[in-house]
Order: sequence, then structure tokens, then C-alpha cells
Amino acid sequence: MVADIKQTRTFWRVGLLQTWLNRLGPVLGLLLVILVFSVLMDTPARFLSPNNLRIVLSQTVIVAIGAIGMTLIIISGGIDLAVGSTIALTGVVTALGINAGLSPTLALALGILTGGLVGIVNGLVITRLKVVPFIATLGMLGIARGIAKWLASQQTVNMPGTWLNELLVMFPDPPWLLVAPGVWITIVLAIAAAIVLRNTVFGRRVFALGSNEAAARACGIATDRLKIWIYALAGLLFGLAGVMQMSRLRQGDPTVAAGSELDIIAAVVIGGGSLSGGEGSILGSMIGALIMAFLRNGCQQIGWPNYIQEIIIGAIIVVAVAIDRWRTRV
Amino acid sequence: MRKTLLLLSMILLAAVSCTKTGAPSSKKLIIAVIPKGTTHEFWKSIHAGSNKAASELSAQGTDVEVIWKGPLREDDREQQIQVVEGFAAQGVNGMVLAPLDDRALVRPVSDAKRAGVPTVIIDSGLQSSDFVSFVATDNRKGGLLAADRMGQLLNGKGKVIVLRYAEGSASTTEREAGFLDEIKAKFPGIELISTNQYAGATRETAKRAAENLLNQFGEDVQGIFTPNESSTAGMLLALQDIGKAGKVSFVGFDASQTFIDAINANQLHGIVVQNPFNMGYLGVKTMVESLQGKPVQQKIDTGVMLVTKDNLSSPDVQTLLHPPLDQYLK
Repeated sequence: MVADIKQTRTFWRVGLLQTWLNRLGPVLGLLLVILVFSVLMDTPARFLSPNNLRIVLSQTVIVAIGAIGMTLIIISGGIDLAVGSTIALTGVVTALGINAGLSPTLALALGILTGGLVGIVNGLVITRLKVVPFIATLGMLGIARGIAKWLASQQTVNMPGTWLNELLVMFPDPPWLLVAPGVWITIVLAIAAAIVLRNTVFGRRVFALGSNEAAARACGIATDRLKIWIYALAGLLFGLAGVMQMSRLRQGDPTVAAGSELDIIAAVVIGGGSLSGGEGSILGSMIGALIMAFLRNGCQQIGWPNYIQEIIIGAIIVVAVAIDRWRTRV
Repeated sequence: MRKTLLLLSMILLAAVSCTKTGAPSSKKLIIAVIPKGTTHEFWKSIHAGSNKAASELSAQGTDVEVIWKGPLREDDREQQIQVVEGFAAQGVNGMVLAPLDDRALVRPVSDAKRAGVPTVIIDSGLQSSDFVSFVATDNRKGGLLAADRMGQLLNGKGKVIVLRYAEGSASTTEREAGFLDEIKAKFPGIELISTNQYAGATRETAKRAAENLLNQFGEDVQGIFTPNESSTAGMLLALQDIGKAGKVSFVGFDASQTFIDAINANQLHGIVVQNPFNMGYLGVKTMVESLQGKPVQQKIDTGVMLVTKDNLSSPDVQTLLHPPLDQYLK
């Protein structure tokens, strides 16, 4: 009896530790990264300056918006390897849209919808043709990249300047925005996605689908339709990331963002997402994206060679997932 | 048994006589031109130049056909190796190759030579002697030109950043070395404050690296050198974003319309320009001359030139910057 109570107590305490780690683990990781660089750097004032924060936030936007979509997909038990190609494709489409005389707003919509279309195709291939997400999106990785190069006639697409180019500038106009408009868009989208995931029927179904697909189906969830929705929604976000990419480069570049899907997946995983589905949080993924951006930024400013940065990021991914495993074991 | 042997030898004989009579009977020389990628303006110029050589030679009575095929993905060595092997197996008369790597392509080129397909190397070096000729920009000289311009801009005094291109790229490493050696030898008053950071493969990675570096050194830096198109484009975007474009002496490499606009706006104070059109032209021409048994030089320089606001409108520079692409690319 006494032993029982003791056990419950330790269980309760571990449970508390678990939620605490769940919530704060990535945040602590981020603070640790910033702290370590501030200590190591000769001029920490520059590293911690508002300007550097602006830089890092702008650099994070593309990965962060992608990570919102990817979090949805990963929680549902899926994966999308075509994000980098989708970003390139939608950037090219938006640039072509502007060149064809569309207003910037319409071009923006066209870019985002193209992303959504790619997502729908992914969803259809996965559900109708019964191809596992890894393979379906691996195929799309090549298809979207190829279409991007084709549409762009194998070169970068230059376009006249519009307000779309100002989405990720360091010093926004008007100045009271403090950070680039794209950063605000990302924050708003992240909050919206977090609310949708946590507080809506759709969100719970996404978790249910990722935790146990058979059970979700048995509970009456139309899993196939849900999957198509998830990939389409994520696709819209990847489309927006593509517009952001175009905005940063002021041109549509069909070769850009190759391999960025791995950065995006890494952000979700560092943030506590589980590739077996059913786990993940938007906040975590955002922190994951920031950790990688700060690492890159810090390594560069300290003057470390690139390989050190690659090793550190690789190690952090493994450590983050190892901690995750340890958490679920206890 | 004897029958099968007879049949076999007959087939063999037929095959041998086919290859012996098949190709030369048409008297058409098929030259495969293999670039590193296909999207950059640079490679388009090489393509146009090789087409020009083909049409000129054909007009002189030597029928030449150019087959243009790059690796499917840019910067993918394995893909390029497969393209080279494919052409060797196909039995083209000669190859003009811009190797993605100075070692990885050694074996395929040697194998091709053994199979009777000679290769002319263009653009980047190959650690081998199994090729006919090396037709390329004198990259070291390009670096020297950039350094001289930098010394002149800064009056031999100031702090300079070199943002390198990518690890393992032979041509840009030579440019960087040429720049650094010349600065150290000729301008002792110039201090090199950062030379170990890499821009990476795309404009996006270059812009990120440039932003991070400028946050650290932006206050002190007076001169910047970048060794290729993507690193120059990324640095220019980063400088424009923080309003520093025009306030720092900036010397870049390679040409594009964006750079020419920046030179006119005094944001870029010099670009070292290669002559890719001439490279493609001389590459194919040298290959054909060698196939015809004429002696060819081991190393052919295709020329580099410093372009500044002063000589921008001169006819020499104009033909260099605007090669007749439309005329030769259909």
C-alpha cells in the first residue's frame, strides 16, 4: 500500500517532469545555443543586437513557414520530401505571374495556390494510388523541380520590383513594424496553426490519424479525405514559403532550396515531432527552426568553418531525438 | 557448337563492320558538350559558343553536330559521371567537358579515352593527363585583377572581407588564392579580416552567409571580394538590404544584368568577367582540330577582363556581356 503510493508519487513527478521537458526542452536548447555563442564571441554585443535578431528572424521565415506545414504532416504520420522543390516551383510561378502582368496580390495567390495544388496531387497519390508518403513525395521532389526548370526555361526569372520584394527586408517600412512583414506573417500563421491543432476537431483528427490510423478510421474519421486536406493545407504553406524565397532573392530561381526539406524536417524533429506520427507541436518546430538559424548565424560570426556548423547541427538533431526517446521511455 | 561459334563470329563481324563503316560514312563529327549545370547564364553562353563553332565548321565543310547535355541536377558529380559514361558508350567522336570535380571525373575521362573517345576539358581543371587540351579562364589572373582593383579603390589601405564560394571548387579556389596572394604581396596596408567563410551553392545560402558576416564586420569593413556569380549576387542583396550597398568597395566575379545595374548605381565597383562564349567556341573547335589530326595547345586561355563603370559602355565589353545567345540557341 505504502509502496503503491510511493510509486504513484514518483510517477506523478516524472509525469510533471515530462510535460515540463516537453514544453520547455526546445526553448532551453535555443537559450543554451544563444548563451554559448554570447560567451564564445569576442563581440557579443553584435551577436545579441536587435539587428542580428532581425537577420536571424528573416533567415528563419522560409524554414519556419515550411515547418508549420511539415508539423501538420508529420503529426499525421506522413512526410513530405518535395518541400524544397515546391518552394522553387512556387517562387518561379509567382515571378512569372508578375512578369505576365498580374498584380502582386494575384501573383502571390497564384504562388500559394500552386503549392496547394502540389499538395493535393501528393495527397491523391498517397490515398488513391496507395503509394507511401515517402515515395509519393520523393517522386514529387523530382517532378516539381523539373517543372520549375521547365517553366523558367532553365534560368532564373527576373521580375520588376513590387511590394512582394519587401516581405523579408531587414528594415521594414513602416519602421514601427520592427521586423520584416514576413516575420509577422509567420508568427500569425504559427499561432493560428497551433490553435487549429490544439482546439479544433480537425486538429484532434490529425493527431488521431498519426497515433493510430486504423483506430481513427474505426472511429469514423474519413482518413483518406483528411490526408488530402493535410497535404493541401501544408502545400499552401509551402507555396507561401516559395513566395518568401522569391522575395528574398528578388527573382524566381528554379534551383534554389534544394535540400531545404531536410532543414524543415530537422526543425520539426528538434522541436519534438515524432516521425512515427501523433506527436509534435508548432511552437517546438518554430524553436527548432530558430535553433538552426542561430547556429548558422553564430558559427559564421565567430568565424568557424562550415564543417563545424554541419557537425553541430547533425549532433543536435540526434541529441534532440535521443532526449525524446528517453522521455517516452520513463 | 560449331554452328553457334560461326553464328557468333558472324554477328561480331557484322557489329565490327557496322561501327567501322556506320559512323564515318556520314562523315559527321558528333561532339558532346557537358556543362556543370544548365540554368546559369554562364552555361547558356558556353552552349551558344559551341553551337557557333559547330555552324562555322560545318560551313567550312566539316560537318559537326553538338549534343548538349548537363547533369540532371546541378552540382551532382555522380550524375555527371553517368552522362560522360553514357556518351563514351554511345560512341560520340569527342567530348567537351566542364568537370564538376577535378578528381571524381578522372576515371570516366580515362575510360572514355581508352574507348576511343577523346575529351577537351573546359572551365575547371582535371587532375589527369588523359585529355586533349584544357580550355579555360585563367582564374588566378582573374583573382589578381580583382585584387588590383581593390587596392586601387582603397588606396592600398583598409579592411577587406573575402566570402569564398564553396569547398572543393577548383576554379573559385584559384580566384580566391590569386586575390589573397596579390593583396598580401602588393598592398601590405590592406588587412584581411575574414577569409574563411563560404557562401555555398546558391544565392540563398550566399545571402545568408553575407548577412551574418556583415552583422559581425559591417561596421569595420571597407572592401569585399566575392569569387563567382551566386556569391556576388547574395552579397549584393545583403548589402542592399542593410543600406550599405555603395558604401563599401565591392568587387565581384561574373556578369549578369543585376550586376550591370549595380555597377551603374555605384553599388558594385568592378566585376571580373570571363568569356564563356569563347570557351564554348574554342572548346568545340579544339576538339575538332584534334580529331582532324592537327596539333593543339595543351592549355588555352579564353581571357578575363575587369569591367567597371568606366569601360562598361565600350564595344569590347558590350559584346562580352551580351554574347549573341539568340542567334545560336534555338
